[in-house]
Amino acid sequence: MLKVPGAMLPLIEFKGVNKTYDNGTKALADVNLKVSRGEFVFIVGASGAGKSTFMRLLTREEAPNSGEIIVNGFKLSKIRHKDIPLLRRTMGIVFQDFRLIPTMNVFENVSFAMRVVGASNREIRRRVSNALTLVGLGGKARSRPSELSGGEQQRVGLARALVNNPTMIIADEPTGNVDPNMSYEIVELLSEINRRGTTIIMVTHEHQLVRDFNRRVVMIENGMVVADNFDGGI
Amino acid sequence: MKARSFQYLTFEGLKNVWVNRLMSVASVGVLTACMLLMGIAIAFSFNVDVIMGTVEDQNVVMVYLEDGLSDGDRQEVEDALRAIDNVKNLEYVSKEVALDSITQGFRDDQKLLFEEFKGEENPLPDALKVTYKDLSLFDETTGQIEQMKQNMKISEVSNKRDVANQVNSLRNVINIASIWLIALLMVIALVIISNTIRITMFSRKLEISIMKAVGATDGFIRFPFMIEGIILGIIAAGVAFGLVYLIYRLAADAVTGNLMLNLNLLPFGSFAAIIFGIFLVLGAIAGMLGSLVSIRKYLKREGSEFSEI
Repeated sequence: MLKVPGAMLPLIEFKGVNKTYDNGTKALADVNLKVSRGEFVFIVGASGAGKSTFMRLLTREEAPNSGEIIVNGFKLSKIRHKDIPLLRRTMGIVFQDFRLIPTMNVFENVSFAMRVVGASNREIRRRVSNALTLVGLGGKARSRPSELSGGEQQRVGLARALVNNPTMIIADEPTGNVDPNMSYEIVELLSEINRRGTTIIMVTHEHQLVRDFNRRVVMIENGMVVADNFDGGI
Repeated sequence: MKARSFQYLTFEGLKNVWVNRLMSVASVGVLTACMLLMGIAIAFSFNVDVIMGTVEDQNVVMVYLEDGLSDGDRQEVEDALRAIDNVKNLEYVSKEVALDSITQGFRDDQKLLFEEFKGEENPLPDALKVTYKDLSLFDETTGQIEQMKQNMKISEVSNKRDVANQVNSLRNVINIASIWLIALLMVIALVIISNTIRITMFSRKLEISIMKAVGATDGFIRFPFMIEGIILGIIAAGVAFGLVYLIYRLAADAVTGNLMLNLNLLPFGSFAAIIFGIFLVLGAIAGMLGSLVSIRKYLKREGSEFSEI
């Protein structure tokens, strides 16, 4: 496993990252970015700006053409195929479309993430019920996704992302399919998770939300980081 | 893999077989057809070997004499045969003895059928049963006897080597044909199984994308599909084995009851374990390969492997 030693290093580091797809689309150009442990970062930008590519590079769905990406000590340009699952176990991913399995109830949907890492039934029961309590769905463990509102479904998605105790949560437009007042609830929850020490990377295009929560904002435009209020306002 | 993961994934594989039951039935059907043909070929091959064995053991040639031969003429033939070095023994089989020995193979009520052939009506020829000393000189000695037909009252020389050769070449034809047929059917079975698994994978795309997102290894994702394939293979092996047994029983009954054929097929139990073993191994391998073929491409894919489904 290609891991960089030292706990003091940034959790995420992009160094001169370029990504051009096979069809010639230039998605990211010379991206440099550092995210420390415990940060809450909004990634904003118009559609087609390169936000999705940024997320795919982060989860190592895609590899960069040049430059270096280090996530949680893994060098992503050199990572071996068999080590990719280990990288992903350090992150919890939240999807815009929730990705809940309709035939499973809430409890089973969350525990599914723990089955993959081979957790025991006892541990699954304990941690799933903790995660569901944290997202405020302790009483809905036996409900099917179809019986829940959009906001509730996304909270199940959050519980699933959290249940394996990841060091970071990567949320791709988590409020995209949720009505506006529920959106605030979701970001409140993410803020609560962040207060407990988990790093949050959230892609969004809801400017009002970003303004109201007053966190670090990285703006991507035409594949480049055009603004980053890491060291003072945008 | 941890024991609890093994248990969980095996159950998932079993569940898939039931959830996709229509395609499961199709896969099992094709694989069963393939194994059935193979089983029949194997059963035939075993029996041919036994028949061949008894034929080849008999180092004997029958020299049939012309009808109405006088004792003197017969003596002349016997003397000529005894003069051949390789002839070890000579036995006269009269037409009456020949008819008796044929009749003995049948039940009492069937024996009545042969009553009318007794005496003058007996259509069988008198014969001399010639046993050779050295089997390696079989063709040479038989050739010598054949030549005697020219100036002696011999109607026909028959040896079971002819039958043996015919059976042997029939066996070769069947073996070659069945190898090709089985190979073809195996390819079809593989395609169908891999399609079944592909349908399972398609219906479980969402689950697979989540598995990948939460850090499942390729082995973990692959395992239930492999189990599904293996289970399909094993079910096909069981069904095919049952069918081969039924067909063999029907064939054995038909052959044993047939007046024209004096054959006794081997009992099914004598090679059942071999056929079942071959079926099981073949079914499991075909099922596993089918699932690996369809999932390989999916696991190798990079880019939007879970962010877009």
